[in-house]
Amino acid sequence: MKNLTANLATLAAHFKIILTYRGLMLIQAVRLLLLPMVLASAWLSIEKTAENPYSDADYLLYYLMVPVILNLTDSRLVFRFPLSVRDGSLSRELLKPYPPLAGYVLESVANNLIQLLYLLPFTLIMGFLIRDRLVLGHLTLPLLGCAAAAVLLGGLLRMLVSGSISLTGFWLEDVTTLNLILNGGIWALFGGMIIPVATFPEHIRQIAELLPYRYMLSFPIEILTGRLNSGQIAQGLVTTIIWAGCFALIARQVWKRGLKVYSAYGG
Amino acid sequence: MRQAGIILKLWKASIMQALEYRASFAFSILANFLDFVFGFLQYLVFFTAAQSIAGWSSQHMLVLYGVFMTVFALQFIFLYPNLVAMGEMVNSGSLDLLLTKPVNAQLILSLRRVSFEELGSLGTAIALLAWLAWNGTIQMTAGNLLLFGLGMTSSLMLVYSLFLFLMSLAVLLERLDDAAQIMWSMFALCRYPADVYPSRLRFLFFTFLPVAYLSSVPAMALLGTASPGLVFQGTIIALMAVIATTMFWRRTIRAYTSAGG
Repeated sequence: MKNLTANLATLAAHFKIILTYRGLMLIQAVRLLLLPMVLASAWLSIEKTAENPYSDADYLLYYLMVPVILNLTDSRLVFRFPLSVRDGSLSRELLKPYPPLAGYVLESVANNLIQLLYLLPFTLIMGFLIRDRLVLGHLTLPLLGCAAAAVLLGGLLRMLVSGSISLTGFWLEDVTTLNLILNGGIWALFGGMIIPVATFPEHIRQIAELLPYRYMLSFPIEILTGRLNSGQIAQGLVTTIIWAGCFALIARQVWKRGLKVYSAYGG
Repeated sequence: MRQAGIILKLWKASIMQALEYRASFAFSILANFLDFVFGFLQYLVFFTAAQSIAGWSSQHMLVLYGVFMTVFALQFIFLYPNLVAMGEMVNSGSLDLLLTKPVNAQLILSLRRVSFEELGSLGTAIALLAWLAWNGTIQMTAGNLLLFGLGMTSSLMLVYSLFLFLMSLAVLLERLDDAAQIMWSMFALCRYPADVYPSRLRFLFFTFLPVAYLSSVPAMALLGTASPGLVFQGTIIALMAVIATTMFWRRTIRAYTSAGG
């Protein structure tokens, strides 16, 4: 109960900080909205191959949902935590009677939640404007529930992947390179940002379904497009949980070892 | 000449600093090379679901990717580290110190740091373009190469204009941690040919928000499909953009009263 109060207070504090620098939200908006709109334009102007299962309506729904899901599963840990190791401010967090990483996690969550202030209206308005070209008849409450669960688990997974990478900041001066390798182009490719995973050729799709990236973006949207049956949804949710468990273990080990070498330089 | 000498010394310091952590430097080059490869794979996978994009075949799209990555890598090497440092300079007050020095502040702030981590991408992008020239996708005529040279110059001038605009914003807003994100978002618009956009957006991208000249037009020049008029139009727009953003920068610096003021 004490931790819950502290978490809510921390979350509220981060909301206030973000709103103080609300100009930065504009930058976030550009980042979240621009690429999906570009990609939607690109996909709508292609001459499709015979094997491509997606119609224009599928692409529209997919890229309409990308900004919201991309934001909800986003994690800023990899930018914030290594900085606190470098400037020594992690030392303060370690002395507090509060989980040291909770503040960084809640900052990331607050940032994601606050972007919904414009993302949800944008998505609803855009959805309304292109309602004639969208197919939504398949959406049911259980399907929406599954998509919500997939978003929550996908967000947790991305947080743990980013967290594991960011914790290497105990040893590495700059973790952005490692992040670029493990969480950059490979995520954009296998996560379904550039190409919806469902439209991959069979052998590449099988690889994408084994890797964790699909579950951070594409999977919740695939549920919403109604193209997955209940077995595939359950399989996807279980795979997300397994990957989240693996990265939780990795993060825990890296944290324990990292703390032993942390010498609060710069602080 | 004196300013160039100062910049060269600053670059030397940047390189020496990077080489202090040789393993990290080599690792960064490898990471950026891998990022290029994943970007390349994206195009290949893209064309398993598409036969062409707005009339551009997969080979044409590779030319666009090569040009896009060349421009992106050049901005990453010469401009990005300076843009990242700007926010901190404003907050820490070190901008004030630099403004009092007898140097051209715009030039020094724009070019004082270099980061060669994108050399892997730059090299691979040039190799990709060379391969496309060798297999005949790129039309290697003197006219095309001239138009490409002019198109690339305009592209780099436009990138610099955006960079200078963001530097000015960093001074005005006092906090612009993610300025590079805007820059990269603009680059997102250039990953695909301008032809993919609806006609009104396309008009915007060829005029008031001239992102079409960043990669599409130079790529069209290499493919022999760009008219000289289009390339010259890009050069005029780029010149106007540099002049406008330089004026905005000077105005911002005149109004600047230190981070607290």
